[in-house]
Amino acid sequence: MSELKANLARALSPKTVVVVGDKRMNGYMWLRNMQPFSGAIYSVQVDPNEIPGIEEMGVTNYTSLADVPGDIDYVLCAVPRQISPRIIADCAAKGVAGVALFTSGFAETGEEEGAQLQAQIGEIAREASMALIGPNCMGVYNAKLGIRQSGEQPTGEAGPVGFISQSGTHAINFSLTGAAQGVRISTSISMGNAEVLDVADYVDYLTDDPDTEVIAMYVEGTKDGRRLLQSLKRATARKPVVVWKGGVTEGGTRATQSHTASLTSSMAVWDAVLKQAGAIETLSMDDTIDVLKALLFCKPAKGRRMGLMAMTGGQSVVITDAFERAGQVVPRLTDGSYAKLAEFFNIIGGSYQNPLDMGGTIGFGGQHDHLQKLLDILDEDSNVDAFAMELASGFMARRWQADPSSLDTMLDLLVKHRERSEKPFVLTLHPGHVEEVTAQARAKVVERGLPVFHSFERAARSLALATDYWLRDT
Amino acid sequence: MATKPANGVIQQARNEGRTILSEVDAKELLASAGIPVVEAKLAATADEAVTLADGVGYPVALKIVSAQITHKSDVGGVILNVPDATGVRTAFEEIMAAGKNADPSATIDGVSVQRMAEPGIEIITGMTMDAQFGPVLMFGLGGVLVEVLKDVAFRVVPIEPKDAKQMIREIQGYPVLEGIRGQEPADVEALESLLVQLSAFIEANPEIAELDLNPVFASQTGAVAVDARIVLAEQE
Repeated sequence: MSELKANLARALSPKTVVVVGDKRMNGYMWLRNMQPFSGAIYSVQVDPNEIPGIEEMGVTNYTSLADVPGDIDYVLCAVPRQISPRIIADCAAKGVAGVALFTSGFAETGEEEGAQLQAQIGEIAREASMALIGPNCMGVYNAKLGIRQSGEQPTGEAGPVGFISQSGTHAINFSLTGAAQGVRISTSISMGNAEVLDVADYVDYLTDDPDTEVIAMYVEGTKDGRRLLQSLKRATARKPVVVWKGGVTEGGTRATQSHTASLTSSMAVWDAVLKQAGAIETLSMDDTIDVLKALLFCKPAKGRRMGLMAMTGGQSVVITDAFERAGQVVPRLTDGSYAKLAEFFNIIGGSYQNPLDMGGTIGFGGQHDHLQKLLDILDEDSNVDAFAMELASGFMARRWQADPSSLDTMLDLLVKHRERSEKPFVLTLHPGHVEEVTAQARAKVVERGLPVFHSFERAARSLALATDYWLRDT
Repeated sequence: MATKPANGVIQQARNEGRTILSEVDAKELLASAGIPVVEAKLAATADEAVTLADGVGYPVALKIVSAQITHKSDVGGVILNVPDATGVRTAFEEIMAAGKNADPSATIDGVSVQRMAEPGIEIITGMTMDAQFGPVLMFGLGGVLVEVLKDVAFRVVPIEPKDAKQMIREIQGYPVLEGIRGQEPADVEALESLLVQLSAFIEANPEIAELDLNPVFASQTGAVAVDARIVLAEQE
């Protein structure tokens, strides 16, 4: 392992953390972000007006980095940009493993001074093989150790998702929105301007990180595309990689005379790279979280044939369209299944061709023995590879509100089913007309580790993308 | 009629300060890497043209070779389906005259002679340089609609056989290659190996900045580049 890689690994799993330049004006944001940290935390601040506020938080402050005792693994630096080269030099002199530079005003400004300052700090860091994260970034989130980018990020156990983001906002929003849907982070890196370490370096780290089961990222561009492709290929051989690509680079376009060049757009090349690497390409934060839910909470599908369970005739049509449009297949069930269904299925106002239009049969969620039978029939049906079920917020939300235990009982039944079955099973829960009730219902589903999506379309797309990954070698 | 060694083709262009290789030179370079092309040879005189045509067999195609004239057919510099030696002499004189007429200052090296390729499904393939990913390989159905439909697939060089398989099957027009409405299917395996060879060729020749094989004719019995264009990178 190179010295830089070893230093990055230390910085992302630190024992000692130092925040440089935290301020009252920011509410001592960085020290507060690190409050759950179980290791040693120190502050470096020279301004006498700021020091008492820091000490009130119980943090020892030093006026020089050189005075901090022991080895330092991770520094979060929030000083003005003109001072940053000096602090980075101090870090290098002290032998700090990694620094995340929150400070902005560098190459991203497009002006000469910023670009020069960035080049200067880059040179100091490279010279020392120090893992410089950023500048212009929100640093690292390590859920297990309590290193955070935002005071709202949950800590405790490591989640299974490693996240890399060119944007600090997306890093934080992804971690919070994801956590609310059960998609939790192992390590997240806000990489900012990527002066020293680029996307590929973080992909390499997360590929080798045992806590990370799936890698996801928000990426706009890279300095070395060929190295990124190699890193992505290495990663996808070990774990799924989901890439949310933002923006289209202008640098990639140039005037040429050939057909091939005129037919090539930067986005088309990125699409190609992600296919070539075997990564899953997503279009937004929600799309990314959705696909992760399918990957994390479903057992791998062996095919694309869906068994669909809806409450009404209209929804049966629409759920079928959604899954078939996404590239899944809605087949006829086996004759054996039809024979079993004929014994008890209520065909007055219902049907069981597939989809199962089952509202009447399961008493709209009240008749659990029938729901159990339907799940068992689809589970045993050899024409079905995966199944999806509608939690019909439209007419169920008020009943769940009136009798919360009715939803609990049904969800517990679904959890038991999921444990028994080897087939992926997804739920849909539309926000509907009483969002506060469906939000509570969604939280109950998430709590139980079941994959639940806001619409048929989102469930269908996510399961189809995950299935692409599961079936990649066939 | 002299053939230059393959690596000499690029060197000669460099010596002459050119970045665009002639069709004859481009094909020579490609053929030396084992990429199937309809070989084109340069004839400086009508006699040479007839000798070359007799050698490859009729009918033949004749095209003007001049560094200054890039749009060959626009100036009357291409004559296809020439049936015999008499036709070759006439076509040679016509092309030379058309070239001089179009650009009196142009240096005309002569006329390239090649056999008429067996017709097939028109394919376009090539390489362009991407700022982030380097050389990118393209594959698509050729013909007049390609620029409108943009039904093309890309992969970053180098590609593996799996990538070639995927890119061919990725285009919307793939069923055309499988044979539709009684049309004969194309030799898809030949296209796959063409792409893999092209990728290796690009890896081996980092001086190449752009490359077009347009068209490639894909038939039941193989795939062959009918026209080729190579542009070298500007030297710093």
